Amino acid sequence: MSSLRLVIKELLFRRISSMVILLTVIVASSVSVAIYTLSKASENETRKIMREQGLNLYIFPKGTNLIDFYSINNTETFPDIYVDVLANSKTFDAVRHLTGILQLKYPEWKDANGSVHQIVLFGYKDEAQQIYLSEQETMGFDVKKETVQLGALVAKNVKAGEAFIIEGADGKPYSFIVDKRMEEGRGIMDQGVSFHLEDLQKLLGMEGKINKIEALGCVCHDGRIKNARDQVQEIFSDLEVTEISSIADARENQRLMMNKYGAFIIPFVVISALLITGLLFHQNVKSRNREIGLLIAMGSSSYSILFMILSKAFILGLTGGIIGFFAGSWIAEYFGKEIFRFTALSIGPVWAVFYYTILISPLLWMISSWIPALLATRIDAAKILSEE
Amino acid sequence: MLDINNISKYFKRGSKVFTALSDVSLKIEKGDYVSVSGSSGSGKSTLLNLIGGLIRPDSGEILYKGESIFDQNAKYLNSYRKENIGFIFQQFHLMPYLTVIENIKLSCYQKSHYDSINEYLEKCLLVNIKDKYPSDLSVGEKQRAAFIRAIISDPELLLADEPTGNLDPQNSSILMSLIEDFNKKGGTVVLVSHDPSVVNHSNLNVKIELGRILNGDEVS
Repeated sequence: MSSLRLVIKELLFRRISSMVILLTVIVASSVSVAIYTLSKASENETRKIMREQGLNLYIFPKGTNLIDFYSINNTETFPDIYVDVLANSKTFDAVRHLTGILQLKYPEWKDANGSVHQIVLFGYKDEAQQIYLSEQETMGFDVKKETVQLGALVAKNVKAGEAFIIEGADGKPYSFIVDKRMEEGRGIMDQGVSFHLEDLQKLLGMEGKINKIEALGCVCHDGRIKNARDQVQEIFSDLEVTEISSIADARENQRLMMNKYGAFIIPFVVISALLITGLLFHQNVKSRNREIGLLIAMGSSSYSILFMILSKAFILGLTGGIIGFFAGSWIAEYFGKEIFRFTALSIGPVWAVFYYTILISPLLWMISSWIPALLATRIDAAKILSEE
Repeated sequence: MLDINNISKYFKRGSKVFTALSDVSLKIEKGDYVSVSGSSGSGKSTLLNLIGGLIRPDSGEILYKGESIFDQNAKYLNSYRKENIGFIFQQFHLMPYLTVIENIKLSCYQKSHYDSINEYLEKCLLVNIKDKYPSDLSVGEKQRAAFIRAIISDPELLLADEPTGNLDPQNSSILMSLIEDFNKKGGTVVLVSHDPSVVNHSNLNVKIELGRILNGDEVS
C-alpha cells in the first residue's frame, strides 16, 4: 500500500480533525487573499480617482503668478521639448504621466450665431513615457490631431462630428472636427476647447512652445513635492513645481492605512492559523502514536513517517489554499462592490496570488506540521506497542 | 540464527534506575519455538523489543546471522525489521481506517507477498470479512488479521508479545495453532506469555525474573 493512499485514508477517517485543520487553512488563506485583493482594488480606485481628478502637479516657468496664469493670455512659455528631456532623464522619477500643455485665453471667439465669447484654449502634447520607469497606461487628455474636444459651455448647440471654426493668429479661419462634447462641471474646462498641442501651436503661431506641464506625483508621504521640485530644478532651473491636492490624497491616505492594517492582519492571521494547525497536528500525532509505532515496528523509516505527516499537511494546505483563494476573492468582490465606486466591477480573483497561494500555502502548513512530524519519528514504538 | 550475548537494559524513571535485563544471553536457532515467561515487569517484553530492534541495549550485543544488529545504521535496522521480523501484540494494533485486507497489505513490501493473502485469509476464516474495518471485527478476528499481517511477508522470526492476552480460550487455541503452523514451516517464534497453556506449545521455555534468565528448559 502506498504511503499516499495511507495518508488519504487517515485523512478521511479522522474527518473532524482534518476538517478543523482545513477550515483553519481556509480562514487564513481567505482572509489574506481578501485583504490583498481589497488592497489592490483600493490602489486601482485611488488611481482612477486621480484620473477623474486630473493630474495633481503643475510645472510652470519659474516666477509664474498663478492668478495671472488663468486670467491673461501671454504667460511665460518654455520649449515643449522640456517634457521629453524630463521623460528621458534617469534622475527624474518623482512624478509620472508628464503632459505638456499650452493653455491660453482666447478673448474673441465667435460662435455659430455670431456672438463673441472669451474662451480658453488647451493644447495637449501626447503624454510622455518615462523611459527609465515601468510603462503605465496614459492618463492625460488624448486629443487626436485635427479634432477638438469642447467644454460644456462652448459645446452648447454644437454636435459631435460638426466643424469647429476658429480664427488663427495669422487671421485665417481654422476648422476642426468636434470629437467629443464634455460633461459640465469641469471648472475652467467648461469654457475651454482642447486641441492636440501641435494644432494649437500652429493656430496661435507658437510652434514648439508650452506654458505648463501637468503631471501626477505619487501621493507618498516622503516629501514628494520637495523631491519633485529638487529633481525639476536640477534639470531645468527655469521651471518650478506646484501641487494641487485632491480627493485622491485622502483616498491614498486611506489606502496606505489599509495597507498598514493588512501588513499587520495578514501575518497575524497566518501565524495564528499556523500555530493552531501545529497544535492540531501535534494532537493528531499523539492520537496516532500506536499507528506510527506499528509502522516503525514494521520497518518504516523516519523519512516515511515524516512524509506521512508532511504530505497530510501538504494536501490540507493545498486544498485549503485553493478554497481560501476563491473564498477570499469572493469576499473581496462582495464587499468591494460596496466600498469602491470606480473599481467595483473590476474586482475579481488576482491570479498571480493564486499561483503564490498554491506554492506558499502547502509550504507554510508543512512547516507548521514539521515539529509534530519530527516528534512522530521519535515515538518509542516499544513502549507504545506494549501498553495495554 | 540469533545470538543474544550479555545483554543489559536499564530504564530511568525519575531519579531511579530500574534494571529490565541484566547480563542476559540466549541462543535461538532457525526453526526454534521459544516461549519467554515470567511475572509482570520481569523483562520479557524488553527482551522481545531488543530482539526486534525497537530498543537498544545498554550493554551486550545481539547477533543476527553473525552480524550485530545495533552496530549498524538506522537503515539496516529498518530493513532488519521489515524483512526478517513479524510482530504480534496483545492489542493487535490494526490501523482503524484500513480494512482487514489493507491492514495485511501494509506489511507487504514485495509484490509476491500479495499472492498468499487469500490463502491465509481462508486459513484464518477471514475471507468474508476481508473488506471490513477493525471496528466491525471480534477480538479473535482482529488478532488473526494481525497474525496474517505479521507473517505475510514471510519473516524468519515471529515475535509475539502476549498474543493471547485478550482472547477467549477458543480464539486463543486457534491463534496458537496458526503460530505452530508457521513454526512447522520453518519459521522461528519467540513468544512472550505468562499463560502456561501457551508456553506448552514451545520447544524451549525461557523463564525470566528480575531481568535474569532463570533457565532455558526444553519443553517436552
